[in-house]
Amino acid sequence: MASADPERDAVGAGRLRNGRSREQPALNGSKTERRETSPKRPTVRMTLMGRDGRLQNSSPSAMVKELLDIAEYIASLRDAIALLRANELTRDRLPMVHEELSEVVAATAGATNSIMNTAEAILALPEGKGYRDAVETKIYDIFEACTFQDITGQRIAKVAEAMSQLEGRLARFTAAVKARDAAGIDDQESDRRKRNESLLLNGPQMGGPATAQDAIDALFA
Amino acid sequence: MALDLSMPILVVDDYQTMVRIIRNLLKQLGFEDVDDASDGTAALARLKGRKYGLVISDWNMEPMTGYELLRHVRADEGLRTTPFIMVTAESKTENVIAAKKAGVNNYIVKPFNAATLKSKIEAVCGA
Repeated sequence: MASADPERDAVGAGRLRNGRSREQPALNGSKTERRETSPKRPTVRMTLMGRDGRLQNSSPSAMVKELLDIAEYIASLRDAIALLRANELTRDRLPMVHEELSEVVAATAGATNSIMNTAEAILALPEGKGYRDAVETKIYDIFEACTFQDITGQRIAKVAEAMSQLEGRLARFTAAVKARDAAGIDDQESDRRKRNESLLLNGPQMGGPATAQDAIDALFA
Repeated sequence: MALDLSMPILVVDDYQTMVRIIRNLLKQLGFEDVDDASDGTAALARLKGRKYGLVISDWNMEPMTGYELLRHVRADEGLRTTPFIMVTAESKTENVIAAKKAGVNNYIVKPFNAATLKSKIEAVCGA
């Protein structure tokens, strides 16, 4: 049975559960300084009530040891969760990622439209006097539109850095708590995978097309 | 046989930029009558309402992919002979083979150039 006073154990009276000591008077009457220990994890000590009603301090049984191990694991889990800084991720970093990627999409769409408008305008220019000057002006408009790449590059670098941070924190978290993935996949992901498989939705491949146009042409020859 | 430059063409892609690029390339080839749709469902509705000389379609679209559109077209008695060219980033061999089995007339992988589009249109519609 646990102690009635959780703040005190039967041995070393006055020693607090978290390892800190209450101020104790020295033999000469002056107060000693508080001895503080700041363990990273709380110290758990159990006391047992004997049949005679007296508190006893017995050596941990296997069950007590297991409970201590669980308590230690919970404490380390709490530390690992704190190090994940999940609130910072959900409040700041992940919204930032969404915003930056939205900006990239908008910037590339805007630049593409600008370039295409200018190209179409060049195609529509009448031949004759002033043609070359008009084309040159439009071409410089295209160069200007291409400056989007500098800004989008910086935005994507920010996103990559944020993803790297997230990756690092998750890796440390999973290692610290010895995380295991749940069996199976959630319904939404399962539906998505089934659709992708049945409709052969592989998406663009890394490093360019998986099958060259020449090889495809040979299939249709 | 020369290409019929007056034939209406349906371009199916969920990215308006790609639709615009293909439209411009077709204009360069002399095709002016070009409609577009943003996915297979919208394309099917257009195909039911007008006879097109050619469909140029992307693969990966929602809710209906270009692959599903192709199968619908080939299963429809009134549409089954419509020339169909897939223009897509889906470049795995399994995609090409599946499209060929489903009855696609030709297959272009993105990114592509004007010369490739021209040669495939000529191969499908000019012969």
